[in-house]
Amino acid sequence: MAENDVKYTLDIKDLEVQFKTVDGVVRAVNGIDLSIQKGQTLGLVGETGAGKTTTALSILRLVPDPPGKITGGTITLEGKDLFAFSEKEMETIRGSQVSMIFQDPMTSLNPVMTVGDQIAEVIQLHDKIDQKGALEKAKAMLEMVGIPGNRSTEYPHQFSGGMKQRVIIAMALVCNPHLLIADEPTTALDVTIQAQVLDLMQKLREKYGTSMLMITHDLGIVAEVCDDVSIMYAGRIVEHGTLEDIFESTSHPYTEGLFGSLPNIENRQEQLKPIPGLMPDPTDLPSGCTFHPRCKYCKDICRSRVPAVTKLSDTHLVACLAYEEGTGVTLGGDGNE
Amino acid sequence: MSDVLLDVRNLKKYFNTPNGVLHAVDDVTFTLERGKTLGVVGESGCGKSTTGRAILRLHEPTSGEVFFEGKDVTKVSNQEMRHLRSQMQIIFQDPFASLNPRKTVSEIIGEPLRLYKVHKNKKEQQDHVLELMELVGLSERLVNTYPHELDGGRRQRIGIARALAMRPKFIVCDEPVSALDVSIQAQILNLLKQLQHDLGLTYIFITHDLSVVNYFSDEIMVMYLGKVVEHASSEKLFEHPTHPYTKALLSAIPVPKLGEKKKRILLKGEITSPIDPKPGCRFAPRCEYARPECFERTPELKENEPGHFVACHFSGEF
Repeated sequence: MAENDVKYTLDIKDLEVQFKTVDGVVRAVNGIDLSIQKGQTLGLVGETGAGKTTTALSILRLVPDPPGKITGGTITLEGKDLFAFSEKEMETIRGSQVSMIFQDPMTSLNPVMTVGDQIAEVIQLHDKIDQKGALEKAKAMLEMVGIPGNRSTEYPHQFSGGMKQRVIIAMALVCNPHLLIADEPTTALDVTIQAQVLDLMQKLREKYGTSMLMITHDLGIVAEVCDDVSIMYAGRIVEHGTLEDIFESTSHPYTEGLFGSLPNIENRQEQLKPIPGLMPDPTDLPSGCTFHPRCKYCKDICRSRVPAVTKLSDTHLVACLAYEEGTGVTLGGDGNE
Repeated sequence: MSDVLLDVRNLKKYFNTPNGVLHAVDDVTFTLERGKTLGVVGESGCGKSTTGRAILRLHEPTSGEVFFEGKDVTKVSNQEMRHLRSQMQIIFQDPFASLNPRKTVSEIIGEPLRLYKVHKNKKEQQDHVLELMELVGLSERLVNTYPHELDGGRRQRIGIARALAMRPKFIVCDEPVSALDVSIQAQILNLLKQLQHDLGLTYIFITHDLSVVNYFSDEIMVMYLGKVVEHASSEKLFEHPTHPYTKALLSAIPVPKLGEKKKRILLKGEITSPIDPKPGCRFAPRCEYARPECFERTPELKENEPGHFVACHFSGEF
């Protein structure tokens, strides 16, 4: 554990999160491992319902309980067990050590408070500083994200979507967190504004050396900002590796399907190869490999045996039976198409 | 000219707001050939959806002409419009909001058939609904389910089946895949392409996603604040973007490939207000090449080379 202190900002082991609902137990996260080295950015990629946001909320211990419950695993933040903290201690960690940027800038700001006051509130919660000093600091932070300081007395509705997201970024970074969780931070924004915001986040991160967990479904954004990538499907990590591992030697059929679903901007003649079927119902996950009903290489064994994690290289991990010995599953070609 | 299905001339749609007149669509002109797809791209508030709706008269145009198979849609009587609507359909962006939650799948898809009294009896209509469901890849067992029981992809398929019910010639697809996950998005895009091929449909495809529009369209029209800034074939637009806005827009797309750290043109500021716009190029306040003239004179949409239209005073110079 000692070496983790230095190396990893975040280390998640075997995390499991479940939600008890009237329709049954939703198994949102099913034993995932994630780690982020200091100053690095990890991309967590997956579609709606993969469990990405639940994972993020677990790190802040904000999974709504009930109905949600973290049923297993550990989360280590800078060498300390996150589940050992009291609720009071968690409050000081949120915002100062770990902060989060949410997807929708329209709903994550308080509409009846000026943006300056909202940022100052965060500062005052974590630092011993008077109102006036906090407001000054808030103004400086707004300037840093490219908003004129004199607009700190305005309300969220007076800002555009891109500006609101900048306010949220300012708020998230004002206490110099060690880990920034960004949950689809640019999904609600137009492309030119998205480019501005990504550029800004990148610059600020370099300046402060913040580690980041970037949750997204956009592989284009991943290619641009991340160092490592984890691909998540139905509450499990199906493939993990460096950018090169994932983009150059794509190994899991689901990852392959994700790439096949994206129109190729350089070759418009190329046909899209979508993944057939739908995300599985999380209250009734398929047996064996959870991806098997949609996998074109699926063999009988995939229906019953849960794939273990196979190490393809020091950095590249994959959970697919095709990479385990003696399973008889092979990839490549067009399967049964 | 070849077989022109849709001919839009000087289409304008203004909205009166408490703060002044909002120029949502300002002088849009284009033609669209039968069986082709025109992609309309631009950012929020550029007027792309309003253009689509004004063509179908879901928004009554302020002025301008829309010729559909030679007939001016803006001038026809309500009776005739009713008939024309069966030929011109729309697929909406949000499959969660565009379906009546109190109707079953078969009622939703059968609604246009019922309204136009296409079939003599319920049995015939039901058979037609099942046929349509098969066409869009919806399994028959879903016929009596309600929209809330279905996921986004299936809901969008219902919207497509409903649009196809009257065998239209022309469909406005208003961000049909924006609300869907990538793997589902690809399924729907392939379905729309297949249908176009099989039924000879003509599409206007409205989207903010440039890689999707490139994949899907024959021609692309880029809009900015109610104006068309560039219009060309997809190949041309992506290979030789001419308008500074198009260039910035294309450079802003995050490409899912490594080692392509391309030079990104970061635009200054944000889209300005479309309310009572001043004369001059509407993109000028954000344009890195803007000169005094750009703030004084509105650039016309000119045909720079055959089939490539650009609205910029200095388009040849950079």
